Amino acid sequence: MWELVLKSRKAMFGSIVLAVFIVLGTIVPLFFGDPYAMNLGLMGRPPSVEHLLGTTSFGQDVFVQLCNAIGNSFFVGLVAGILGTLIAVFVGAVGPYRGGLADKISNLVTNLALVLPLIPLFIIIAAVVRGLDLFLIGVILAVTSWPWAARSIRSQMLTLKEREFVNLARMSGDGNVRIVIVEILPNMMAYIMMVFVILTGTSILAESALSMIGVSTTPTITLGYMLYWAQHQTIVPFWWNIWWWFIPPGLVLTIILTAIFIIHAGLDEVFNPKLRRV
Amino acid sequence: MKQNTDTQVDEKNSAATSHSLNHFLLKLTGLLHNSFARFVARKALFYLVVVFFSVTLVFIIIESMPGDPVAVMLSSGNPPPGADLDALADIMRAYFGLDRPVLERYFTYLGNIFSGNLGQSFHFYPVFASNIIQYYLPYTLSLAIPVLIVSFFLGNWIGARAAYLKGKLNETSYFSLVFANQLPPFWFGLVIIFLYVVIFHSIPPIGSATQGTIPSLSVSYFMDLVAHWILPFITLLVVYVGAWATGMRSMVTHEKDSGYVRYGEQLGFKKNKLMSYTQRNAILPQMTGLNMVFNGIIGQTLIIEIVFGWPGIGLLLYNAVFNYDYPLIFGCFIVIIIIIVVGNFLIDILYGFVDPRIRTGHG
Repeated sequence: MWELVLKSRKAMFGSIVLAVFIVLGTIVPLFFGDPYAMNLGLMGRPPSVEHLLGTTSFGQDVFVQLCNAIGNSFFVGLVAGILGTLIAVFVGAVGPYRGGLADKISNLVTNLALVLPLIPLFIIIAAVVRGLDLFLIGVILAVTSWPWAARSIRSQMLTLKEREFVNLARMSGDGNVRIVIVEILPNMMAYIMMVFVILTGTSILAESALSMIGVSTTPTITLGYMLYWAQHQTIVPFWWNIWWWFIPPGLVLTIILTAIFIIHAGLDEVFNPKLRRV
Repeated sequence: MKQNTDTQVDEKNSAATSHSLNHFLLKLTGLLHNSFARFVARKALFYLVVVFFSVTLVFIIIESMPGDPVAVMLSSGNPPPGADLDALADIMRAYFGLDRPVLERYFTYLGNIFSGNLGQSFHFYPVFASNIIQYYLPYTLSLAIPVLIVSFFLGNWIGARAAYLKGKLNETSYFSLVFANQLPPFWFGLVIIFLYVVIFHSIPPIGSATQGTIPSLSVSYFMDLVAHWILPFITLLVVYVGAWATGMRSMVTHEKDSGYVRYGEQLGFKKNKLMSYTQRNAILPQMTGLNMVFNGIIGQTLIIEIVFGWPGIGLLLYNAVFNYDYPLIFGCFIVIIIIIVVGNFLIDILYGFVDPRIRTGHG
């Protein structure tokens, strides 16, 4: 199975792009200094050899800020992705496995959370909880973004729990927890991985949207917060004059999301042979 | 004697009412046996639960807001020196009913929702929250609904054609569609504004109308509105055309390998005929995505409004949150949840019409 993943052009292409950005976000900032360091002698310089992406209107290096922002955005995405996947697996696996009332409740909660308008809720929550750090934002995003993932895991669970090997495990006296963890979940690993990948992507996007409109005012720089600064903290008359400040973060964000989508599509083709074109 | 006839008439009437009641009950049970009506009733009940739950949730969130609306209101004024602000704050708290226990306020809040009157806005006092929302709501709908409809048809049309491209072109189209789908609308809006400046060398149209114009029913005012509407519309359209086209492309790609298409090919069907068959089969699974895309479009519209200064519910909510304007926050959120619920309900019913398996629950 994993050889197929390595052979899948889509999955590999996406992974390589993602890996480049992870390196940019984690290792490159170590070689540069403080991303917030201002140098008022270098206000709003366009891209040059010294400053790859130019400088902000306070003389901060955009490239250094960008690398730090990528790392922080990935951090939020990972926190939200891991927690969200755990919640989705819990809700999506326990309900259908127990059946009866537990299933009805978990299904109702999932469908309910699926319709909730998240963005106005985020705006209100972010305004309520002042002084958020990145981890807390990740937790908030995880708590709100799991429903569709739980639904797809639920449909997997419903087919898997009727299989012979699960019945066999039940007959040989294994406990429910053991059956779910040892027998069923490994068979869903592919789905869980795809859910994790997509949840990470949507969380990065959601965090950027919140920071961009300025409701999640963390002091930490992320891709969305760079966009906010580029719009609101500029001292030239119109923000669009410093185009090298607001174009890169959004472009990087789009490329990361595209890579994540392509990895997901590639994995989908590998794990659903029906989708593979012969 | 007269009394007697009266009682007779009464009896007759009651017999008639009981008969009509029986008839009504029979009709109702008949309706319940009708699977489509049952499907609609079940959906309606579910969406009522959604409304109740989200309304309660937002009340809890707002209640746990650390800021004090009265303090925000007082800080915007300029009181004379030596004024007893604490006493003033107490009076204002009592006036807006903020000093009563939480549970009591919760029930007044629920009652207010049913009467459709959420009280006077704190920030725009004495204007009622519902009156403010009335003014902002058409702007949101005029952005979201055209985007939903146009992107559905345009995106599926493009996606169906992209599936028939060959070789390198196919791959390029795939990547560009995915890229368009993944564009964050809030950033793409900035890029569109930037491009507008670069191309037209003028101040981009931000807000609802050019400053200083007086709203009227004239053609020039309408054209001014359209000029301000077109940029956010294009921003959202590109993203959601990408979303529909990516899905449609993969659906058609699978369909065109299926047995009936190959059989048709061997019978010598025209290519256009086969294409229309595959598209008809591919559009049904696409429609399941309608709910999710609708919710997405509403959410993104709210953010795009903030980026473009388009005076819709999103911008109103954004400002209300910063002003701690409780009635207005509740009002905006309730309007958003009603838009979402009504939209989803209509889409579910539409889906039941299109696919009989959904409404009967078989298959």
